[in-house]
Amino acid sequence: MLLIKLATKSLLNRKASALLTLFTIAISVMLLMSIERVRVDAKSSFSNTISGTDLIVGARTGDIQLLLSSVFRIGHANNGVSWKSYQYISEQRGVKWAIPMSLGDSHKGLAVLGTNKDYFEHYRFAKKQPLSFSQGHEFNHLFEVVLGAEVANTLGYQLGDEVVIAHGMGNTSFHNHDDNPFKVVGILKPTGTPVDKTLHIPLAAIDAIHGGHAHQHEAAQADANDHDHDHDHDHDHDQHDDVDLVGTPKQITAFLLGFDSPLYTLQVRRNINQYKDEALLAIMPGVTLRELWEMLSIVEKILLLFSIVVVLISLLGMLTSLLSSLNQRRRELAILRSVGARPWHIFTLISVESLLITGLGCIVGIALFYALMLLGADYLQSHAGISLNIALLSSYELMLLAAIMVAGFIVGLIPATRAYFYSLADGMSIKI
Amino acid sequence: MITLENVLFKWHAKQPEPTINITKLDIDQGEHVFLHGPSGCGKSTLLSLLAGVTVPTQGNIQLLGKAINQLSNSKRDRFRADHIGYIFQNFNLLPYLSPIENVTLGCQFSKQRQKNALKNSAAIAAEASRLLTALGLNDALQHQAVAQLSIGQQQRVAAARAFIGSPEIIIADEPTSALDTQNRQAFVKLLFEQANAANSTLIFVSHDETLQTLFTRSISLVELQGGTDATH
Ligand SMILES: Nc1ncnc2c1ncn2[C@@H]1O[C@H](COP(=O)(O)OP(=O)(O)OP(=O)(O)O)[C@@H](O)[C@H]1O
Ligand SMILES: [Mg+2]
Repeated sequence: MLLIKLATKSLLNRKASALLTLFTIAISVMLLMSIERVRVDAKSSFSNTISGTDLIVGARTGDIQLLLSSVFRIGHANNGVSWKSYQYISEQRGVKWAIPMSLGDSHKGLAVLGTNKDYFEHYRFAKKQPLSFSQGHEFNHLFEVVLGAEVANTLGYQLGDEVVIAHGMGNTSFHNHDDNPFKVVGILKPTGTPVDKTLHIPLAAIDAIHGGHAHQHEAAQADANDHDHDHDHDHDHDQHDDVDLVGTPKQITAFLLGFDSPLYTLQVRRNINQYKDEALLAIMPGVTLRELWEMLSIVEKILLLFSIVVVLISLLGMLTSLLSSLNQRRRELAILRSVGARPWHIFTLISVESLLITGLGCIVGIALFYALMLLGADYLQSHAGISLNIALLSSYELMLLAAIMVAGFIVGLIPATRAYFYSLADGMSIKI
Repeated sequence: MITLENVLFKWHAKQPEPTINITKLDIDQGEHVFLHGPSGCGKSTLLSLLAGVTVPTQGNIQLLGKAINQLSNSKRDRFRADHIGYIFQNFNLLPYLSPIENVTLGCQFSKQRQKNALKNSAAIAAEASRLLTALGLNDALQHQAVAQLSIGQQQRVAAARAFIGSPEIIIADEPTSALDTQNRQAFVKLLFEQANAANSTLIFVSHDETLQTLFTRSISLVELQGGTDATH
């Protein structure tokens, strides 16, 4: 107790350097914790992106490329899958459902996905969670759109709003058709996946906006769509429910397959990869997600390494400051010896100081870490799709902190040992 | 009370001449001893031996009837905490403690001195305050930061720390070297007062021979080193 009191007062007496050391440690702790939290959460966000889908089928590219373009909306799939192949494969034995996906269009930089209603029924993320609506319902008419949670959030759209969807990626498009407003009929609950950043429209509507002939407003008529799509869209959307929302596009970007039994997966996958009429690629999302993560894990490991080095440097900073103060404190040590302190008291005193600095550094670091998480959570969610978990410290994080404390203690043993020997060697003569 | 017999001490094993070489030295209880000698002759080294911080390479040192060179390290530390008050030349105080806390530190490592201190006052801090007042430091000064005290005031705080809990032996290593002549005399008189009150033995090292007359006994370390019990 006495030693803790002495150590605290002695540290307070050297406030400036002690605070500086403490702050360096705090920042390094914050850095390490943040990097680890983001890494762990990124990993789980990542593997939570898609589940329940047995195969993703697209034009033949790399596995990861297909995954990125179809699930993460990153990159551009140059080729698509012909509608004929889609139809053929989706009628294979064992196929429970098939969800066509047509990507490549955007609204204010957010991806537009043309798909069918099965998407809302069969798409799964995280632990096989289905999509659910926070407001409204799925699209029932051609010019209706269902928004991901974040689309609605960031763009401030509400049910009933009209949204213009452009052809092509990016904010400014040469083909920005003002005459194709889509009505918001549904808003999905947040998923923490790219779904949140997606606008979902009927597959047939993709062709409609590309066709360039959809002059009329949806509210009035949609019969203009049928000119070059050789099928009839001549219904009034507000009156008919049996609208063909899929149509027969020439090609789609990719499609998702679910089987009656996972046993079909490998067989169908082989068949698709050997499909003669078209060069196709089928991937198992779970496997490819893992491959992708493995690819990224080198970055992750480098980050971890850096933050560990930063922690070590901060502890070395503490070592330097304790060691350099020690020489000036030989007098203090001799005084303590003269009143009966034993060498191990001196040893403990210095150890307690390093523990205090490290401990307080960790506490301040955790506070900074939570502040950073609170500030950064929104940004990460909207810019990287990583949903941060602002929860209590996990056992892994507590372990990291314990490791830092142990490292701090070990580093503190060096000046403590030194002080121990000073106090033995100096005796009662004070040199400075 | 304090007895040295054939004490040899070398700081390093390879030292050709021992720093301390004393055949015989006896100091009685309650004596006020003035120890002098030129710089580097080993006065501080001898005090380290007497305080049990270092042990003689050869020979025996008996304090209060105990051969402290035969005690274990930790027992010697406890012995020092219990029975010895030590005053350094200057900068005696921990800068981050108040004068009162500096004084009470004198019995933090010893149950026995705490007990002794509580014989005089209700609390240890009260005893510290009483000693400081007796040594001429008023209440206001007692709570000031030690860095703001004059050297003379600091030395009085150090003296109070040495005296708290009435240790049998008070060792002072040139405690007055930073004081002017008048203050030196006053300080030494205060030491005597307190030493007499507690019947403590006082061993006082100084270069200032003018102080010598105040003491009951004076020892020249150089003569002592010669191998005889040098006493004036
Ligand atoms: N801690 C130590 N380690 C090694 N040698 C020491 C140590 N302390 C003192 N000495 C050596 O012992 C000898 C005696 O030193 P000491 O400090 O006892 O002299 P002193 O009589 O107290 O001198 P002064 O009057 O200047 O204080 C010196 O030669 C010194 O170099
Ligand atoms: Mg000396």
